[in-house]
Amino acid sequence: MALSASVVAGLQRLLGPAGVVLTPEGRLTYESDMLTLYKAAPDAVALPMTTNEVQVIVRLCRDARVPIVPRGSGTGLIGGATAPLGGVMVSMTRMTQILEVDFPNRCATVQPGLINLWLTNAVRDRGWFFAPDPSSQMVSSIGGNVATNAGGPHCLKYGITTNHVLGLEIVTGTGDVVRVGGKASERAGYDLTGVMVGNEGTFGLVTAITVRLLHLPEAVKTALASFASVVEASEAVSAIIAAGIIPAALEMLDDAMIGAVNAAVGKVYPDGAGAVLLIELDGPRAEVEAQAERVAAICRERQALMVTVARDEAERALLWKGRKEAAGAVGRITAAYLLQDAVVPRSRLPQIMREMVAISKRHNLLFANVFHAGDGNLHPLICYDDRKPGELERAQQANEELLHACIALGGTVSGEHGIGMDKAKNLPLQYAEADLNFMYRLRRVFDPDGLMNPAKLLPSHPACGEGFRPSRPTLPAGTWV
Amino acid sequence: MAVTTSAALADGLRAIVGAAHLREGGVPVDGVLPRWSAAPETIEQAALLLALAQDARLTVVPRGGGTALELGHPPARVDLVLETRRLDAVLEYQPEDLTVTVQAGCTAGALSAQLAARGQILPLDPPGWAGRSLGGIAATHASGPLRQRYGTMRDLLLGVRFAQADGVLTWGGAKVVKSVSGYDVPKLMVGALGTLGVLLELTLRLHPAPDHESTWLASFRTPAHVQECVAALLDSTVQPNRIELLDARVLAACGLPASATALAVSIGTVEPAVRAQEGLVKALVQRARGTVETMGASFWRTYDRALAGFEGVTLRIGTVPARLADTLASVHAVLPEAAMAGSAGLGALQALTGHAEAPALQAALDRLREGVGDVGGSVIVERAPRAVRERLDPWGPVPEPALAAMRAIKTEFDPRGVLNAGRFVGGI
Repeated sequence: MALSASVVAGLQRLLGPAGVVLTPEGRLTYESDMLTLYKAAPDAVALPMTTNEVQVIVRLCRDARVPIVPRGSGTGLIGGATAPLGGVMVSMTRMTQILEVDFPNRCATVQPGLINLWLTNAVRDRGWFFAPDPSSQMVSSIGGNVATNAGGPHCLKYGITTNHVLGLEIVTGTGDVVRVGGKASERAGYDLTGVMVGNEGTFGLVTAITVRLLHLPEAVKTALASFASVVEASEAVSAIIAAGIIPAALEMLDDAMIGAVNAAVGKVYPDGAGAVLLIELDGPRAEVEAQAERVAAICRERQALMVTVARDEAERALLWKGRKEAAGAVGRITAAYLLQDAVVPRSRLPQIMREMVAISKRHNLLFANVFHAGDGNLHPLICYDDRKPGELERAQQANEELLHACIALGGTVSGEHGIGMDKAKNLPLQYAEADLNFMYRLRRVFDPDGLMNPAKLLPSHPACGEGFRPSRPTLPAGTWV
Repeated sequence: MAVTTSAALADGLRAIVGAAHLREGGVPVDGVLPRWSAAPETIEQAALLLALAQDARLTVVPRGGGTALELGHPPARVDLVLETRRLDAVLEYQPEDLTVTVQAGCTAGALSAQLAARGQILPLDPPGWAGRSLGGIAATHASGPLRQRYGTMRDLLLGVRFAQADGVLTWGGAKVVKSVSGYDVPKLMVGALGTLGVLLELTLRLHPAPDHESTWLASFRTPAHVQECVAALLDSTVQPNRIELLDARVLAACGLPASATALAVSIGTVEPAVRAQEGLVKALVQRARGTVETMGASFWRTYDRALAGFEGVTLRIGTVPARLADTLASVHAVLPEAAMAGSAGLGALQALTGHAEAPALQAALDRLREGVGDVGGSVIVERAPRAVRERLDPWGPVPEPALAAMRAIKTEFDPRGVLNAGRFVGGI
């Protein structure tokens, strides 16, 4: 559906010619995020620079009943920043300012388009950092991180994005600029800040974010342990957590990923291992030393083939290089893959890894694993060849089977990527009708017209539609007179 | 759609929970005698009570440990108190996952005893925590000294089952430590005072208990020195569990010399790391011209009892750490008899004052609220005699349009005002 001339004129008047993308080739750049299964270009892309401009865009679209899709850096993995119903995509790439850094109160306020790592870069000299570190942190925006409640390797110890957001300014689907939260520790009323983190643009467009800054730790120690198989490595992970040690990061790579990484960046991980664990401890030096010894002992007890500890920053960087380059290295083993993001209780890792091996064999597909083992957050890449007929379908089937297995173990559909278009259909696995309906009604409070990033996050399901009411408990006979 | 008589309604309530667990009257809520009090044995019974209450247009007050019933506007009317005391089971403790699922009536003390056997903790320690229900701690967003390191219920609640105002049992969140599947419904329920649903089951993140812990009491001559020391601690690599402020009156209540303003700092980790950080803590205290004394293991119990022992008016002040000295000065200027304590490293403070008349308290609140507005903070009357709270706004102003959004949420989920009607911010 093309935009009306009046909406186009309104956007151009507001943002100038450089602030609106209308050409087909220009819009094509915005047709998908990093999950290219879902492609749909918006009718226009708006590039605001201020909160006021965002508000005017929302009101303009609302009056014309035009869908609004927010976009940060477009590095999401869920088909979130794509426009299946057309409409106006609002790109935050011109809202990249750090508005304030308040060291005494350990926080900073930024615009949503600011790149995650830029914030840490701006405060590191003073000894501070912004903890959420999605693998995309060199390119992903903090607004995008807030929209998806992004995680990252170090979220094991530090928590995900929501644990670091103190306040937000958001233009909701009603066209209001709502300020929630703030620097202070306590406030009266519902925790709207907490509710809005992870809304994937379905409540509105975040225009400013106040985040917590943390002090850099005194010491960091990174170790690598290799194992004969993912099952043994998983048992070591469960044993570390059960021993009461929460490392800063606890990542696993399986043999397929080790091979791909070594081929891409040189031999950083031992060949021939079935899995490696990358274990990082940080904090006060004496604590890190003691815990590192303990972790190494646990790995050895669990039949580690080898445990090495990085001796200096260069060695540490090398151990992480493999992990960080993993996504790029995948291209060496497959042309296409599906990416899971389910979570299992971390004590069930050995069980789900065994199940994964069985699923992989059953469908004759390669699974490559690189994931946040300490959280139980799986990221298997289910590799397929899209030139071979039926292979995508097989990969999708394997994907579904694995997801069902995770939920059966008490897990969740998404640990850190979010729902978007890709996983909405899976939510009913995890939530009953009443639960889905509650979320739908919550969404409607902020987006009464259904224009904010439509067709994302919630499934097409009767419980997520107007007029649905979950069944109430039946009162005992005779209660009514 | 109306129950004809009070007797018929009582029969209906009785049919749900059994005669032994429905009382006429009950313990007054904030001075108001309820018509009935019901103690369901199952969450299904709790849901049925709400379904009946909504149909019969009753107002319902959920009650956990009963320690925070003075929070909020006084209720105009209480038809039914829904007591969670029989819903006190630990449903699913997974020590290997550091998670636990409990019923909302389980007290923090009862859970703590079970966790201790496995070397784990739920680090939620608001004053009098051992006797408080976990559902109540969630509904009131109560916190204590350990929030410095571990955060609050907001950070620890992974999943929640609640009954909506119409009795529909609903689940939000997940039972694993990391989940972004759908909206973060648990966040909506924390601090909502049960106005959107009665909390029935909570899945919580646990932490390993530290191997070793030490506490030091640092005394300073002036609040400015206290603030200097807090700033130095925050801008260091020390990882304290607690950085707690105690003014002279709170020190006295703890049976300590009441000569100064103090910080109680604790560090919990492996023993060599506690010792290594001790030196740094002491150096930072001395640089701010304070004196340090090592406290025994019982200090935090004493402190907890001392805070829980204050009678009268409690204000919960949410500010920022850089305004610690200013806040102390403002409180002492407007409430000269107040004692002050709280998480200095976060600016989450409380003022405790024995007695205050409504006009004086209102004037004090106006002044204090002025001082936190620009940082999004608040000054909440956590406890005060009903006669005082009736004449002021215990929550303080919530700016528009955020308040309008809160009202819209309440209207969506409890249109008839069944749950704690009128007691929350803006009369929600």
